[in-house]
Amino acid sequence: MVQDWRKLEVVDRCVADSYETPTMAETHSLQDLQQPAVSSKVFVQRDYSSGTICKFQTKFPSELESRVDKQQFEETIQTLNNLYAEAEKLGGKSYLEGCLACLTAYTIFLCMETHYEKVLKKIARYIKDQNEKIYAPRGLLLTDPIERGLRVVEITIFEDRSIGSGR
Amino acid sequence: MPGFSGGGVGGGVGGPVSAPPRPFRPSRYVPVSAATTFLVGSTTLFFCFTCPWLAEYVSAVIPIYNAVIFLFTLANFCMATFMDPGVFPRAEEDEDKEDDFRAPLYKTVEIKGIQVRMKWCSTCRFYRPPRCSHCSVCDNCVEDFDHHCPWVNNCIGRRNYRYFFLFLLSLTTHIMDVFGFGLVYVLHHRQQLDTPHAAVTMAVMCVAGLFFVPVAGLTGFHIVLVARGRTTNEQVTGKFRGGVNPFTNGCLRNISHVLCSSQAPRYMGRWRSPQAVEVQPPFLRPSLTEAQLEAKVLDNGIQNDRHSTRSKSSLDQMESQSADAEPPPPPKPELRYPGLPRADTEESSLLTEAPPTPSMYKYRPAYNSPGRNHTALSHPNKMIRGESLDSPSPSILQSSRQPSYRSEPSSLDGATVVGGSVGARRGGGERGEGPGGPGATGVTGGMSGYSLTGRSYTSYPSSLVLSAGGSRSSSLRSAQTAHNPLATLQSEGTTDTSYKSLANQTPRNGSLSYDSLLTPSESPEFESAAHELSPQKPHALFPLATGATITGQSEVVSPSSPLQGYTSPFLSAQIAQQREGQLLQGSATFSSPHRAYLRAVSPTPPSSSGPSETHHLLQHNQDSTSRALRAPSSSSSSPGVRSLEPPVSPPPRSLSLGKSHSYTGEAGPQHKPRSTGGGTVLGGGGAGGGQQAPQSTSRTVVANHTTSKPGGGVKKVTGVGGTTYEISV
Repeated sequence: MVQDWRKLEVVDRCVADSYETPTMAETHSLQDLQQPAVSSKVFVQRDYSSGTICKFQTKFPSELESRVDKQQFEETIQTLNNLYAEAEKLGGKSYLEGCLACLTAYTIFLCMETHYEKVLKKIARYIKDQNEKIYAPRGLLLTDPIERGLRVVEITIFEDRSIGSGR
Repeated sequence: MPGFSGGGVGGGVGGPVSAPPRPFRPSRYVPVSAATTFLVGSTTLFFCFTCPWLAEYVSAVIPIYNAVIFLFTLANFCMATFMDPGVFPRAEEDEDKEDDFRAPLYKTVEIKGIQVRMKWCSTCRFYRPPRCSHCSVCDNCVEDFDHHCPWVNNCIGRRNYRYFFLFLLSLTTHIMDVFGFGLVYVLHHRQQLDTPHAAVTMAVMCVAGLFFVPVAGLTGFHIVLVARGRTTNEQVTGKFRGGVNPFTNGCLRNISHVLCSSQAPRYMGRWRSPQAVEVQPPFLRPSLTEAQLEAKVLDNGIQNDRHSTRSKSSLDQMESQSADAEPPPPPKPELRYPGLPRADTEESSLLTEAPPTPSMYKYRPAYNSPGRNHTALSHPNKMIRGESLDSPSPSILQSSRQPSYRSEPSSLDGATVVGGSVGARRGGGERGEGPGGPGATGVTGGMSGYSLTGRSYTSYPSSLVLSAGGSRSSSLRSAQTAHNPLATLQSEGTTDTSYKSLANQTPRNGSLSYDSLLTPSESPEFESAAHELSPQKPHALFPLATGATITGQSEVVSPSSPLQGYTSPFLSAQIAQQREGQLLQGSATFSSPHRAYLRAVSPTPPSSSGPSETHHLLQHNQDSTSRALRAPSSSSSSPGVRSLEPPVSPPPRSLSLGKSHSYTGEAGPQHKPRSTGGGTVLGGGGAGGGQQAPQSTSRTVVANHTTSKPGGGVKKVTGVGGTTYEISV
C-alpha cells in the first residue's frame, strides 16, 4: 500500500507525463528504482487435448495484446512444449536409465540426475533467456511452470508507468 | 516408516510452504510397520534357518538369488514408501484470484475427443488436472492418483507408481520363492519336523502362504490396470466402465510408459531460483495490428472451457473419486461479456482492476440441490439482480462486464436491497425483470438493471450477498429481506448450481453455507472477499441498514487475510481496518438466531463512523461484487436486517455485541438454524427484509467455532477454511 502511495506521489509530481523522464522518476522515488509493481498476472493453462503429456496452450491471452507480439509469445510456448515433450519422451535413454536404476537398487538417483531433470534445467535456462531478451523489456515476466506443478505458465504483467498505460 | 506423501512443508530455500504441517497420527503407521516387520522378519528367518541347508544340499545360487529378489523388493518398497507420489503444491493466491467467484465447480476439457471433467479442489485451489485426485489422508492433490496405500503409508501416484508396481511383482515372486524353498526343505526333513529349523521354516511358510493370496491378487489387478492404462481410482470409481479411456495408448505403450519413462520431477520442495531478471520501465510496446485489435474484441483470454458446470455440481456431490471431502469451489464467473454495455464506468474500472475472487464459492460444498436448480429454472426472473445475471447460464454470468455483479452469489437472494432506498424497490421489482431488464438480453438486462440499481445503492452488492457463498451483489438481496431467505437462496442457488460458489451459497436447507463457514478449513478467500466487500466507494445513498448488512458481510472476513493480489483503490487503510472489525462483529452477529443482520460496525472505529462506513461498504460492495464474494458470513446476517430497518441504525456494533454473547455460547447446532436464514443474508440483511426468518442470519457464520478467548472483548472464531476471525464481544 505504501508503495502505491509513493508511486502516486511521483506520478503527480511528474505531471504524469509518461516515462519520458525516467531519470526524474528514479530520483523521485526509491520504489521506482526497484521492481515495478505487479499489475496483473496471466495464466496460460495446460493443453490436455493430447492426453496428460505436458503441453501448454498456445492461445494468445488478450491481456498481453498490448504488451508483446503474438508470434513471439506463441513461439515461446511452442518451444516450451517441445522441450517438455523431449523430457517425457519414452526413448532408449529413459529406458536405460530405468534399468540402471533397478540394477543399483535406485541408489543411482543419489548421484545421477534424471533425464527429466536435465531437460527441466534446460527449460529454466530457456525461460530465463526469454525473460531477459524479450519479456522483461516489455514489462512481463514468465514464471517457470515447474514452480506451479506444471499446471500453468504464469506471466506477470508489470505496471507501465508511461502515461496512458495501466493504473 | 513415515511416508513422504504429504510433502509437508515445502522444502528448499526458495520453496514455498505449500501444505500445512499435519498432526502426527500413530495409527497411520501400523500397517506399514506390520508390513515391514513381516517382510523383513520372515525373510531373515528364512535366510537364517532354511538357506544354509539349501545352499549346502541343493545349490549355492539359491540364497544369492533369494537375496537379490529380497533386496529388489525392499528397494521398491522403500521407494514406494518414501517417494513423493507427485504432490501438487497449493496454488498461490494470485492464481486463484483469476477465477471469479462464479467459477464453476467443474471445467471440461477434451482429451482425444472425450470430454473429461476437471474438478475444482478447494483445498489446493486449482482445477485438478485430469487423473489427479485429492487424497484425504495426505491432504494433497496427487498427479495421476492411483490410490492411497496403507501398507506403505503413502499415496501412489505418477512418480512412484512404477516402484509400487515393481514392489508388488517382486513381492509376489519373493513370497513364492520363500514358500517354494521352504517346502523343499520341509519335504526333505519330514522326519525331523520337530527341530527348530523345520519349525521356523514351517512358520515362515505359513506367513508366506497367508500373504500370497492377497498380494498375488493385487498384483494381478495392477497388471491388468497397467495393460489397460488405468489407475486404481478410475477402475474403482468406474470411470470408463463401458466407455473409452482417453488416457490409454495401447497395451505396449502403456506398459512401457509405466516402466520405462523417465522419472517424473518433484513439484514440492524444489529449489526456487532467485529472480535474476530485472524488469524496469520503460517497456517496449508492440504496435497494434489490425488482427490484434480484432482479437481483442473477440477474445477475452479465457482459454478454458467454462460450461461444464451446470447440473454437475449436485451430481458431483455423489461422486467421490477419492475420499474427497472438500466443498466444491464457487462457480467461476465467466469472462466479461464483450457485448454488454458498460453500465457504470467507475464500477467497471474498479472491477477490471481487481478481478474478484470468489474463493468463498470455491469452498462451498456443492450443495447445489437439484431442487434449487429447479427453482431457479422455474423462476428465472426471480433472481435478484445479481442472480439474473447468473441465471441464464454460467457463461452469461461470466459475461457480465461488471464483475461485481457477476460474482455475487445469488444465494443472498433474500437479501434484497435494503429497504427504503429506491434501489431496494427497484431491486425487488427488478427481480422479476432482471432478465428482461433494460438490457436487451436477460443477461444484459439483468446487468444493466443491476447496475442501475447498483448505482442507487452501491454498497449493497457483494458484501450483502456474500454471506456464505460469496453472494452476488447483494444489493438486491439484502434489500429485500421480506423474502424468505431460503427461497431466495434457492432461486439464487439454481442459477449458480454449476458454480462452485453455489455450493457455498445456499445449501438446500440454507444452512449449508453457514455450516461450511463454520467448518474450519482454509478459507482465505472468505477473508479476501470480506475485505473486498468493505471498501466501497462512498455513496451516501443507501440506507444505513443496507450498509450495515453489507458491512456485516465484510465483517466475516478474517482480519488476517489481506486483499490479495490487488488492492481496491477505494479501500483506505482505515476502512480496511474498520471492515475487519465489522466482519468480526458480523460473524458474531450471525450466530445469534434472532438478529441475523450483520453489524457493519467494526469494533475499532468510533460508532459515529459506523454508518458512514456502512455506506462505504455498501458502495464498495456494489462495485466490487466479485471481490466481495469472498466475504463469507458477514452477509448472512440477514436476520439482522430487521435491526437495520431504521435508515440510520445505530452502529451495529452495539447490536453485535449483544449478539456475540449469545453467539459465543452457541455451539455448532445453533448454526444450523441460523445458517439457513443467514445464508442469504449477508447482505441481505437488507434492512427492508426485517421479516426474514432468523434463518437468514446464520448463513455465513463463522462464529461457529469459537476457539479463542474473548480477550478484551474479542472472541476468536474459527470459520470455514480454518480462518480465525476475531469478534468483538
